[in-house]
Amino acid sequence: MASTSRLDALPRVTCPNHPDAILVEDYRAGDMICPECGLVVGDRVIDVGSEWRTFSNDKATKDPSRVGDSQNPLLSDGDLSTMIGKGTGAASFDEFGNSKYQNRRAMSSSDRAMMNAFKEITTMADRINLPRNIVDRTNNLFKQVYEQKSLKGRANDAIASACLYIACRQEGVPRTFKEICAVSRISKKEIGRCFKLILKALETSVDLITTGDFMSRFCSNLCLPKQVQMAATHIARKAVELDLVPGRSPISVAAAAIYMASQASAEKRTQKEIGDIAGVADVTIRQSYRLIYPRAPDLFPTDFKFDTPVDKLPQL
Amino acid sequence: MDQNSSLPPYAQGLASPQGAMTPGIPIFSPMMPYGTGLTPQPIQNTNSLSILEEQQRQQQQQQQQQQQQQQQQQQQQAVAAAAAAVQQSTSQQAAQGVSGQTPQLFHSQTLTTAPLPGTTPLYPSPMTPMTPITPATPASESSGIVPQLQNIVSTVNLGCKLDLKTIALRARNAEYNPKRFAAVIMRIREPRTTALIFSSGKMVCTGAKSEEQSRLAARKYARVVQKLGFPAKFLDFKIQNMVGSCDVKFPIRLEGLVLTHQQFSSYEPELFPGLIYRMIKPRIVLLIFVSGKVVLTGAKVRAEIYEAFENIYPILKGFRKTT
Repeated sequence: MASTSRLDALPRVTCPNHPDAILVEDYRAGDMICPECGLVVGDRVIDVGSEWRTFSNDKATKDPSRVGDSQNPLLSDGDLSTMIGKGTGAASFDEFGNSKYQNRRAMSSSDRAMMNAFKEITTMADRINLPRNIVDRTNNLFKQVYEQKSLKGRANDAIASACLYIACRQEGVPRTFKEICAVSRISKKEIGRCFKLILKALETSVDLITTGDFMSRFCSNLCLPKQVQMAATHIARKAVELDLVPGRSPISVAAAAIYMASQASAEKRTQKEIGDIAGVADVTIRQSYRLIYPRAPDLFPTDFKFDTPVDKLPQL
Repeated sequence: MDQNSSLPPYAQGLASPQGAMTPGIPIFSPMMPYGTGLTPQPIQNTNSLSILEEQQRQQQQQQQQQQQQQQQQQQQQAVAAAAAAVQQSTSQQAAQGVSGQTPQLFHSQTLTTAPLPGTTPLYPSPMTPMTPITPATPASESSGIVPQLQNIVSTVNLGCKLDLKTIALRARNAEYNPKRFAAVIMRIREPRTTALIFSSGKMVCTGAKSEEQSRLAARKYARVVQKLGFPAKFLDFKIQNMVGSCDVKFPIRLEGLVLTHQQFSSYEPELFPGLIYRMIKPRIVLLIFVSGKVVLTGAKVRAEIYEAFENIYPILKGFRKTT
């Protein structure tokens, strides 16, 4: 029986007894069957899916079972263009070995830059293992910015990196500018500028970053156990609440909190290691650590098991 | 005296004809209608007061006014001592009714001075409050803090083409590196400023602390160029940017400020430790820091800096850190 569960997009054909039922398609017979009563509503419906048979005796560089490219028509402007494939026989090459039919360019020229940017976004996101929803959001943001043309003069890679940064923020899992810099060829300054311009152009805003947004990522990169991560989160939050670190970047405070928590536990990390992971200079960690050190006993969670007691914490 | 005390404190500075701003009072408080005809009209109840009391009232106000014109007229009136004249003026005044009138402090004024455009109608009672144009801030006292100007950037056209190489070789304190930048960088010590002199004859003067100093410095640079043999003139001196700074003396919760004023503020601790507030009116950019220091820039005139600070001060007070 029909195994495809394709949703019926044609509103006209419905079962007369069950107008709400979604018709199930039987591809073998080309029938549309109502699942409630089994009535065959439409027959010999043309299957618009992929080509079933493949003639695989020739060397098939491309999979001939596809009738069109699988790119998303939501983002590019309608993907109905086709192109002439590379010649395979001997007749398609002239005496020097160049292919006779050379015109493979000028396909979707208006969106060539956009497709290029999408490719770049996917590459960048892949480097830091970002999930598909962030990539989709980034693509949408880029399309909106590109269509608006207010940032047309800026490098597309810079816009793409800034869109990636904004998408991560909007999904609630912000990445630091330095992390985006690490996977992009654009400088932090340029990404920051494009970030502000895009927020203005799209008239959106993003939430402020907090120390807790980065804890899980930094701590797992440092291979710290869960207790240390929870302690560091608690320390950072308390430090900000008690206003011990006014004006300090949340990344620096988070790094200092991780340092304090790791030094109090069995898994000690040096400032340099933490600085490498967080993208913070170790003198910055030292500065923030000096600010939170005096109130160290108040910052730790109550159920924390100290490997090094609080008074023996390193004092820099 | 009772006349002025009946006015709300902010409007006492306005209690002069034509809305002239007395220097002692901060020029742009949040309540101050910016150059409009909305000067409050003190008591119109000439009918209720006797003429003698009116004269006494006028003389008391006269002491607080600094317009010599009114004082002269008042003295003339006192000398004339014509009760009939005063009676005439008051009756004329009553006849004028609702149409635009200057504040009724000096009845003699109504005969000579032109009415203010768009003035409000007569108020029946002295205690009528004024509705402010600027956004609703409480009619509190001004901050008492005056931003200090730190830098003025101005441009001037010397009006002739210049040969930068000769300027650089012959002038003192001039550097010229055409591969790096296409202008001569010249510095003078008094006022301590730096000038960029371009071969087209245009010059940019930076570093002065006041408008007059900027103009004086630009003139000194023009004289230097003139002494080197170029027919330098001093055309189109214009101040392009003024930077001021001040301290509100209390720490500020920037996170709260960015939440409520999202459309104006930008606070990215990763990029810059201060909050960047872009005020629409006047068009000034303010850098607000946690410590309470505020930097204001983008002004073309001094008054914009003051006005911007007076606008932001009540907002900052609302985000004062309590601990």
